[in-house]
This record gives sequence, structure tokens and C-alpha cells, in this order.
Amino acid sequence: MEINLIKLKKNLKSITSVTLLVALVLLPVITLIIGSINLDSSNFNYLWDHLLIDYSFDTIYLLFLTLLFSLLLGILPAWFISMNKFRGRKIYDLLLYLPLAIPTYIMSFSYAEILSYFGPFQNLVRDYLPNFSNIVNRDYLQIEVLALLLSFSLFPYLYAACRISFSMIGNNYINLSKNLGLSEIKTFFKVGIPLSRPSIFSAIFLISMEVLNEYGAVSYFGVNTYTSGIFRAWGSLADINTASLLSVFLFFVVFVFFLTEKFFTNKYKYDIKINSSSDHKFHNTNLKSLLIHTVCLVIIFFSLIIPIIFMINNAFIVSDNIDLDNLILLTKNTILVSLISTILIVITVFGIQFLSRVSSLKFLRFTSNLISLSYALPGAVIGISLISLFSPINDFFGFLIIGSFPVLIYAYFIRYMAVAVSPISSSFEKISTKLDDTGKNLGLNPFKYFSKIFIPLNKKAIIIAFCISFVDIMKDLPLTLILRPFNFDTLATKTYELAVEEMITESAIYSLAIISFGFILLSVLNLTQSKS
Amino acid sequence: MTRKPSTQLSKNLLNINFKIMKKFTHKIILISVLLISFSCDSNKNKINEINIYSQRHYAVDELQYKNFTEETGIKVNVTKANADELIQRLKLEGESSPADLFITVDVGKLWQAGDMNLLQKINDFRVTKNIDKNFLDPNDFWIPITYRSRVIVYSNERVKENELSTYEDLANEKWKNRLLIRSSSNSYNQALMSSLIANLGSEVAEDWSRKIVDNFARDPKGNDRDQVKAIAAGQGDIAVVNSYYIGLLLSSEKDEELEAGKAVSVFFPNQAEGERGAHINVSGIALTKNSPNKENALKLIKYLTSPKAQQTYVDNTYEYSVIPSIEPNEIVKSWGNFKKDNLDLNMLGSKRNEAVRIFDKSGWR
Repeated sequence: MEINLIKLKKNLKSITSVTLLVALVLLPVITLIIGSINLDSSNFNYLWDHLLIDYSFDTIYLLFLTLLFSLLLGILPAWFISMNKFRGRKIYDLLLYLPLAIPTYIMSFSYAEILSYFGPFQNLVRDYLPNFSNIVNRDYLQIEVLALLLSFSLFPYLYAACRISFSMIGNNYINLSKNLGLSEIKTFFKVGIPLSRPSIFSAIFLISMEVLNEYGAVSYFGVNTYTSGIFRAWGSLADINTASLLSVFLFFVVFVFFLTEKFFTNKYKYDIKINSSSDHKFHNTNLKSLLIHTVCLVIIFFSLIIPIIFMINNAFIVSDNIDLDNLILLTKNTILVSLISTILIVITVFGIQFLSRVSSLKFLRFTSNLISLSYALPGAVIGISLISLFSPINDFFGFLIIGSFPVLIYAYFIRYMAVAVSPISSSFEKISTKLDDTGKNLGLNPFKYFSKIFIPLNKKAIIIAFCISFVDIMKDLPLTLILRPFNFDTLATKTYELAVEEMITESAIYSLAIISFGFILLSVLNLTQSKS
Repeated sequence: MTRKPSTQLSKNLLNINFKIMKKFTHKIILISVLLISFSCDSNKNKINEINIYSQRHYAVDELQYKNFTEETGIKVNVTKANADELIQRLKLEGESSPADLFITVDVGKLWQAGDMNLLQKINDFRVTKNIDKNFLDPNDFWIPITYRSRVIVYSNERVKENELSTYEDLANEKWKNRLLIRSSSNSYNQALMSSLIANLGSEVAEDWSRKIVDNFARDPKGNDRDQVKAIAAGQGDIAVVNSYYIGLLLSSEKDEELEAGKAVSVFFPNQAEGERGAHINVSGIALTKNSPNKENALKLIKYLTSPKAQQTYVDNTYEYSVIPSIEPNEIVKSWGNFKKDNLDLNMLGSKRNEAVRIFDKSGWR
């Protein structure tokens, strides 16, 4: 007890700063809970009675399928690339992150058009395999297809988490497994997967949140998820309070899952020796190389190449009408806000994780993970709760803080923090706690310990966290739409405005800009990484 | 205007490091607060500006604002988002809202904003003198800028024009497994259902809705263009869509869209003697209750309803002008004139909640 108290006193600063930051992140949630108290229950009861059971079924089914597909698409290539040396490995590694840069609704709209009756796929079949044309002429707007398309743009979360985790599993484990005579397949199941469980869980958490909050693609496919219920209350029944209450419910359901996940992953604690990076450990036969290439190429082909070719083709069709100045302006806008927010996010997440690590307080470790929870709410709902949070300040000071850059960046900051938490915490978990003691024994002060040990060891995770949060913020829609300053467009808002007016062809150039920038960013970071 | 200070803010934030932070915490906080307040718009009553919250994001709108600025020197600032979000923002911002005007593509949302006491009346004859009286708001809360009809389109191959008559007839058993229409969460469908409730009463509307669901060729999904494409693909024979989407398909630079557009024809329902006419909905503009630049805002409303701007709308979109003498685009004109349902358009908002409940009760997803 006394020791605990001393520990607490020693870490008072860390505790206060982490708690304050977490409070800052959860502020909109708290506002929402307070806001939903004064509720006219008629609409709520109505939704509850008529729709929510039906909606919950669709939600669970969609979630299950999307996670299943994402697991298949994400884990396997991550293992191959982490554990094997083969030609084209680096380029695959780069390309497998990239589908994340394609917004889910663009992925879905594009494939819907590719697969439609007059689309390129059915045209090809009619021209070359006329006997099959009746078989392929079907309604592709199905929940199963939607799940596959969602996983095309979401599996990189899993890929990223597994890449970090697999490549940080030390030589010792892999060699031990080899010496015990386990094949690569057995090593994958007995060593790779169990040791990566926390990373896989955190990526699954992110993907689930994305699926729960997805609205554009989901409503286009005629699927009704829980979020459709939230928007039905808000948009169709004009009842924002019911929408808030439904969001709060969603938040608590996610919170329970979050606790369960923490409970399970806390059971698995491993010390993993670093200094023994374990890239490409297995010997390749020809057959295996063929398998590896096929798996990687098929995934890249469907999740990246096809949509990109489709968009490039669209961009050419309307190339006469492209406003280049506007495109450059929007790109600048997008990069500016994404860059500022991403830097803030990465610094904060890293700082929080570090503080909770050196203090070795369970409470702090738990609190620091709470910041992921703001991802559980639909972006539009967070946007509105921020407006209600800031409107008293508007009134009081007389200047317009709503619709200003600081609020927009604050909104990105709290919402996309979760995205950076996943890779960074996966990486922290792989660093042995023994290292902390060594650091103390060497007499390093926390600051030195931070800069000399933690930053270099987690460099890869920092880079990945930076990239995926940057790409995610570039794609952000709901927060930007409602919180942006006057006359301020980003590539994502422009893409959406065109797509929602059923002008998918015209929107292609803007989504291509998002993807190209994601590509440049990842390539540059990959380069710097391999040099160091 | 607000961009520069925030770049400085970012640089400032970047330069922060731990040591400086310890020594100069107070100064940093002070500087940050100052920077934040600079990067916020501190003066909302700038003389030559108007601020618009708009649900419309067509290229033609930007053109209209540009022409208006050239003519008057008044700068137009726009925030575009979903109508429900903008309504909520207006409400929460209250008196300090910078918005002067609110623009939507569905009159139901204008009615809602008026109902929530977020708008002020426009009693200016100069604004309304050109406009067809049937489109005007009896309560003066909003002004229509364009209109469109929600029409029936039918397969040229499998349906004859004389098989079609009214919206009510879509409930007929002969359309079983042949009717395509999008989801009930779409506001155009909600407006159509509201018009049926207002014209025929809720019981008839509910019965109609159940029969429509029985006639679905597939579960509601996709957007309006997809319903037309589904007809072309043979997944159904008739669909209910907004008129301008057919114009967009027929003028598309993509062959596949052109082909889909050519596979169907447009039919205006409820045209016979004694019938009420085809359902219409307007894009409209409204003056917010706390508009800080009211004079300028009225100038823009007047401009957008002027013959010149109305001509710009029909030249660049497939919507109809609210000035009767201005003819629509050639493609739209080829469908012929039609009789419009002269229902008070506010009904499309006030009956909305009931409409949604009828959809849900009848299983229209």
C-alpha cells in the first residue's frame, strides 16, 4: 500500500497529464451523454420497436463478414512479407498499405459501376464469353459483396498491425520453433498468431469501428446498420436527441467490447527480445514462392489495381473539364490540415503510451487506451457534439470558433487518435519490460530513455502510425463537412459532393489525388526506413 | 482569409519542445490563445459578404455566386454539408451564427428549419414577382430557386406508355416484381410519400405503400441512376426517379450511362383530366433568423430568382426554372409539358414524420 502511494506521488504529473488528455478526447462523448438526457421518448420507442432488431441483425452480419474477409486479406500477406525473403517483397509491402487511401464509399461506388450491366465486367463477358452473360447479369448490390468491398479498403489496418507484430517477434521464438521441428505453417499458428493477438485485436477494433460508422456505402447497398438507425432518427424523424441517445448506446456497447478485449489481451504478456529483428526467416521452395506471389498479387489486383484503373479511365473521360488550379488548392488544403493533426496525434499518442509505460501503473495504462473510444461514434455525431460544446464560447467571446481551423484540427485530433494507438501500442507491447529496468540501472533519466531507447525502437511503428492516421484524415468526411471554415474544401469533401450527386466519373480525379498522395507518402517513408 | 494564422499556429506547435515548454509554459499558453483567436473569424459583420449554409453542391451554384460577385462586389462564402447537419448547426449557433442564407434541395428541410424557428420571413415583392405563384411559400419563410418532378421511367422494350397512368396505379398487381425504387431513407421518396398522405390521407397512403412493397423487383438499394440501369439490365421494368437524372444519363460522356438512359422513357403521372398532376419538389433558399448581412442576402435571393440566373440554371442543369417563361434544357423539353401537383409544398415537410412511419410499418426499407 505504502509503495503504491509512493508510486502514485512520483507519477502525479504523468497521471494528471494523461488524464487531462483523455478527458479532452472524451469531451464530445460527455457532451453527448448530457445532451441526450432531455429526450422526447416517442421517436426512440418507435425506433426501438420497429427497426433496431432488424438493423442489429444486418450490423452483426456485415461486421462478421467484413472482419472475416479482412483477416484473410491482412494476416497472410503480412506473415509472408515479414518471414520470407523474395523478389518484389518491398514493393508488395508498400502496395498492401495503399488500399487504405481509397475511401470505402468510393471503393463501393466504383465496384458497383464496374459490375453493373453496362459496366466493363459484364461487357467483357458479353464480348468474349457470351454463354456466361446471363449468369453474370445479376444484382451485385448485396450485403456479402459490400462486406468484401469494405474489407478491400479496411484490411490494411490488419496488415499494418500484423506487420509490426510479426517482424518484432524475436529470432529466439522463431528459432526455437524451428528447432522443435515445427513447419512454417505450424509456426504461424503456434507462434505468430498467439504472439500477435493484441495487435490483431486492436486492428479488429478499428475495422469494426469503421464498419459501424460507415454510412455512404452501406446505405447505397440498401443495408441497414445501427448507424442507419441513428441517421433515420436524425434525418428522417428530425430528432437529434434520439440520434444522440442511440450513439451513446453504441458507445457503451463498444466500451463493453473494449473492456473484454483488454481483459483478454492482458492475459497474454510476452517479453520479446528485440535486437533480433526477424524478417525473412524461412526458406522458400518454388511452390511456396508461387503461392506467396499469387496471394499478394491477387489482393493487390482487386483492392488496388482495378479501382485505380477504373478511376484513371474516369479521369480521362472528363479530362477536358478538370480544373487544375482547384485540384492543387484542394490538395494543399488537405495536406495542411492532415499534416498538422497527424503530427499532434503521433506526438500525443506516443507521449501517453510512454508515460503510462514508465510509470508502470495499471490505471494509467488503462486510461491511456481509452482514447481509442472516440472512434466508436459516427463522425457526424461528434461534429454536432463539438458544435454544441463550442457554441457557448462563440456566444461569450463573440468570435466564431465553430468553423475555424483550431476546432477542425481538434476534431481530427480526437477522432483519429485511435488509428495511431493501434500500431504504437502493438509496438510497445513487444518491447520487454526488462528494458525499463536496464534503462533505470544505466541511470538514464526518462527524457534520455525516451529519446535514446523508445524512439529508435518504435521508429517503424511511429512511421506506420503517421502514415495511416495521415491517410485517414485525408479521407475524413463527416467532421470536415460540418466543421470546416467557409469556402474550405478538401479532396475528400469534393470527391463526396460529386459522388453523392451520382457524378462518380467527375469525382475520380479527386480520389486519385488522395491515393497518389498516400502513395508518395508511403514510398518516401519506406525509403527513409530502408536507408536507416 | 483564415488560412495564414493557422499555418503560423502549426509552425508554433511544431517548434514546441520539452525544455521550452517548462520555462515558458505561461507565455506559450498566452500565445496559443491569441493565435487561436486570430485564426477564428472575429468580425462577422464584414460589410461586403454573405455567408451561406448550403446543401446544394452543383457546379452551377459556384458559377452563380461568381457572377453575383462580379455584378455586385459582394463576396459569397459557402459551407456545404448535409441539410440535417446544417439545421442543427444553425440551431446550436443561435444568435452568433454567421449564416445569412440556408439552401436545400428538398423543401421539407426548409419547412423544418422554419418550424424550428431558425428562419425569418421574406416579404419582398421584388423577390417574388417573377416566380410562379404555385411554388411560393404561403408563410414566406423560403423562396424556390428551381424545381424537379419525381417521375416514372419505363423500359422501352417491355412496357407500353398506355399501361401507365398514376402513382396510385403503381400499387396495381400487374407491376408485381417489376417496380424499382430506392430506399425510404431517401428524402425524395419521403417527400413523395408526404404528398400522397396530404392528397389521399394516411390510410390510403399506407395501403399504397404495402402494395408497392409487394411489387418491388428487388429490395430498395442504389441511387436514382441505378434504378434506371437496373431497368436496362432487365432487373425490373419501371422505376420512380427524379427527372433530372435522366437528363444527366442522356448527356453523359460515358457510353454505358448513355445506353441506360436510352433504354427508358419518361412518364409524368397523374396527368389526366381531373387528376392532381405530377409530384414536384423544389430547391429553395431561406433567410436565417439572425442573418448578420441581411441586405446582401436579399440581394442574392433576388439575383438567383432573376431571369438571368434562372437561365443559367436551366443551361447548366436538367432542373426546371421557377419562372414560367424560361424554358428548360433541350433534353428536358423533349419530354413535353406536364401538369404539376399544386399542393402546398410545406406539406412535404409537415407530413414527413408520418411518411417515415408508414414506410417502416409497410416494410419499405
